[in-house]
Amino acid sequence: MQSKYKLLTVCALSASCLMFGAANAADKPVVIPGWQNAVPDGKDTPTLDPMLLYSSGGVDGKLAIHGIPSFRTYRHIDCGVDTHEPSFSGSNKGNKNGTPDGKYVYLNDKGANTICEINIQTGYLERIIALPFPFGVHHIALSTDGKTLFSTGEYSGKMAKTDIKTGKTEVIDWGPAPSAPDYLDADRKGKNVYVGNYYHSTVGVFSTSPFKLIKEIPVGKNPHGTDVIPESTLVLVSDKLSATMTIIDTEKLAVKKVLPTCAGPLHSVMDVYNKDGGAYRPGIDSADGLTSKYAYESCFVADANVKVSLSKLEVVDEIPTHYRTGHISISADNSYVMSLNKFSTGLFSPTGVMFPVNFELWDAREQSPTYGKTLKIMPVDGEPHNAKSLWAYQVKDWTKGEAERGGLIDKKTELLDPPHRAMSKRYFIPKENTPPGVKTAADGVKEIHMKAFSYGYIPRQVRVNKGDKVRLFATNIDKAAGITKNPDVTMGLTIYGPYGQRSNMDLPRGVTAVHEFTADIAGEYEIFCTHFCGPLHLEMRAAFFVDDPKKGPSNLAVGDYAEAQKLPGLLEEGQLTIAERVKGL
Amino acid sequence: MKNAKLKIGLIAIASLGMMCGSAFAAAEKRCTAGGVKVECPVITEAQAEAASKAFLKEGEDMEQGKGGSTYGIAPFDYLTGVGKRTAASEAGAKAGTYKGDSGYGGAGQAKTRTELWDRVKAPKSDGVTDKSVYDQWTNNWSPTFGTTLVAGADPTQGKQYYYVYCIACHGWLLHGDGPSASELNPRPRTLTRGDYMQKKTNLELFQVIKGGGEVLALSSSMPNWGNVLQDQDIWNIVAFIRAMQDVPPPKSVAEYLNPKSTFKPIKGDVDALNASNNKDFKEANEMIESEMTGRAPGTELVGSGFVKGGNRAAPNEVVVKVAK
Repeated sequence: MQSKYKLLTVCALSASCLMFGAANAADKPVVIPGWQNAVPDGKDTPTLDPMLLYSSGGVDGKLAIHGIPSFRTYRHIDCGVDTHEPSFSGSNKGNKNGTPDGKYVYLNDKGANTICEINIQTGYLERIIALPFPFGVHHIALSTDGKTLFSTGEYSGKMAKTDIKTGKTEVIDWGPAPSAPDYLDADRKGKNVYVGNYYHSTVGVFSTSPFKLIKEIPVGKNPHGTDVIPESTLVLVSDKLSATMTIIDTEKLAVKKVLPTCAGPLHSVMDVYNKDGGAYRPGIDSADGLTSKYAYESCFVADANVKVSLSKLEVVDEIPTHYRTGHISISADNSYVMSLNKFSTGLFSPTGVMFPVNFELWDAREQSPTYGKTLKIMPVDGEPHNAKSLWAYQVKDWTKGEAERGGLIDKKTELLDPPHRAMSKRYFIPKENTPPGVKTAADGVKEIHMKAFSYGYIPRQVRVNKGDKVRLFATNIDKAAGITKNPDVTMGLTIYGPYGQRSNMDLPRGVTAVHEFTADIAGEYEIFCTHFCGPLHLEMRAAFFVDDPKKGPSNLAVGDYAEAQKLPGLLEEGQLTIAERVKGL
Repeated sequence: MKNAKLKIGLIAIASLGMMCGSAFAAAEKRCTAGGVKVECPVITEAQAEAASKAFLKEGEDMEQGKGGSTYGIAPFDYLTGVGKRTAASEAGAKAGTYKGDSGYGGAGQAKTRTELWDRVKAPKSDGVTDKSVYDQWTNNWSPTFGTTLVAGADPTQGKQYYYVYCIACHGWLLHGDGPSASELNPRPRTLTRGDYMQKKTNLELFQVIKGGGEVLALSSSMPNWGNVLQDQDIWNIVAFIRAMQDVPPPKSVAEYLNPKSTFKPIKGDVDALNASNNKDFKEANEMIESEMTGRAPGTELVGSGFVKGGNRAAPNEVVVKVAK
């Protein structure tokens, strides 16, 4: 029975079984891949997970919670349109998981240009901070004192500093255009914020107070991950197109070393240890004197995670992943590295036209007999962008009436659904080949025909007039994704901001997606790809201009931006609490 | 196996063997060069279809783990069992431990470590050293240029952007046979055709790359790249295109890495070095900028700035010399 189970498992995972059929496979002894022996026969991880993984859902607009190391999915919490970076409240001291205080997780929504505040203890969405327009938030980073969120305005060349309590947001320009502030991290001393800019191919250093650009450091081509190590002495920059890691010295604000790492590097995480050398436990250990030994960098094109020694500043190991690692995460106890893979070609059973992305957990304990081996791999809905790990002890068990003794609800606490799910008519049609462009249909509707390919849209700019009814046709014309050649490449198309939910479309190969809505808010809104399609996924952009004839052509300075911020149900600038869903939805 | 490894870089080259000058059949009256109507340098529908299929086949081969696949071969794939194992890791596997599978870390393993770029190692007979293998892997099997045909622009830097942004339509060797070429009408231009490209000025190339085909009343399928690329990046790409004029499909890796261009700089043409003083360039660039996204007149976000980064040098700092 046991061996039969193993055979079936191997067949499900092995391309050769699929090719030659089960009968053939049964004829000869099956070599069981090593990783499957990692869990002893008949045993599995306990149901109580010592750690949790909070993951942004990307295009599903949610926050997912998984257990570590069970890799079971606990729940999904709705936030909005296209969620990206989860960040625990508390302090950013430590590694990318920070020093959570167990109260909130902030999650930015790239599609709606907002930041969701989710109560960790209740598990409900409690507040949405609407960011100003034009902006186009990509990622957020918590300050050391925990009072501020810094964010990048990828679609406007701007940077923002948001006071979490009031929601007041200070926005500054980072020119010259084209400028795309992308991934960011704040140092652990409250001094500077480091931001990659893939159009500039630099890392911008911003002082936190006053909030301004103090230096731009040239790095490799099209940087992405910009990650500060726990000691705050180095910033690790993943140069997507240069296949290098640029290491910045935070004292000198200069490049210390350029390390060839792997093809298509995207992000780095580090381990973190307390003063005594043990795994750091927020709330128990002091947050001072934290150290780290290794950084792990995700390599999209190389299908690997590269391990970098932070004392030697050299690559010491590389672990194969399945496949196309985008973000990377580390468990709160440093034992496991989670490779957040963007492709699952051939790995899982089909459940529809959209393939699942996957999370892969590999053993990072050097003394373990399964070091470097994949212990768990699971299909994941949506297209997660980043995940952070929390010790499970930081979420209390409120399920047996503990709240009666206080500590959970001490004020009016909103339990929200996303209020800005404005509707559009949407459907698939067989792949159509109308040339790209905008034309007026017989029924007066503005028909936009867009083609998506690795890595861009045709046309790149679309103009309609305020009040136009729009019928947006989008077709993925890739044969296999650009330089990574994935035959199952899926594209996405979302117009950020007020058109986020109305335009949020999946573009699997072979069909044309159509959305119909009214362009009722003027301005310049970026169109972006919501399915990670390759190393230049972020550069895959276009723009949707809605011109108000009374105001003239829209640009970042001309548009109904005050109105845009009032996503249906969002009432005013800054901190906003929505008590009820919008009427009519 | 060596052949399979070579294939990953040269697949596009192989599919081009059939394509030579006379095969460019499809004529379009709308093509002009030097103000004169000429035959459009594009591939035929059948060639575009073949190029698409070859690319898709490569993707499917990868899915099935065939030779040349970039899926799961470095250095050992637990899920498929494909890939290299070192002697140390074989011994470890027998003993029930999987330490050292990557070839890093253990004593005496330095010689057996598997670099990711080993996967595309070329035969030594073609004069390819380990370092250039790394470059080829990360930069997609590409030449390095010692000289430039456009003053103030570096074709080696331009090449890297060409390979990630332009190949989808214009193809690995600039023949207009990218995997998406068959989806476009008109099909993308073959950028190596000397009789055509010699009549196209640098200014025209710059305008079409930065502002898209519609700037010069050409195909709406050519999107604008002015936001994705800075002006200097575009100049570098122009230099790369110039460096590939009349370069035929290569017969060996060595030939591929050393292309010989026939392009002769056009008298009085604008280049990266003199662009800032050229009236025509400034007018054209301002017009394109006025249509670009991400701008906010009256603020810092006015556009067309130069930002050092991405190995980007200012035109007067480009060290690669102009070819004589």
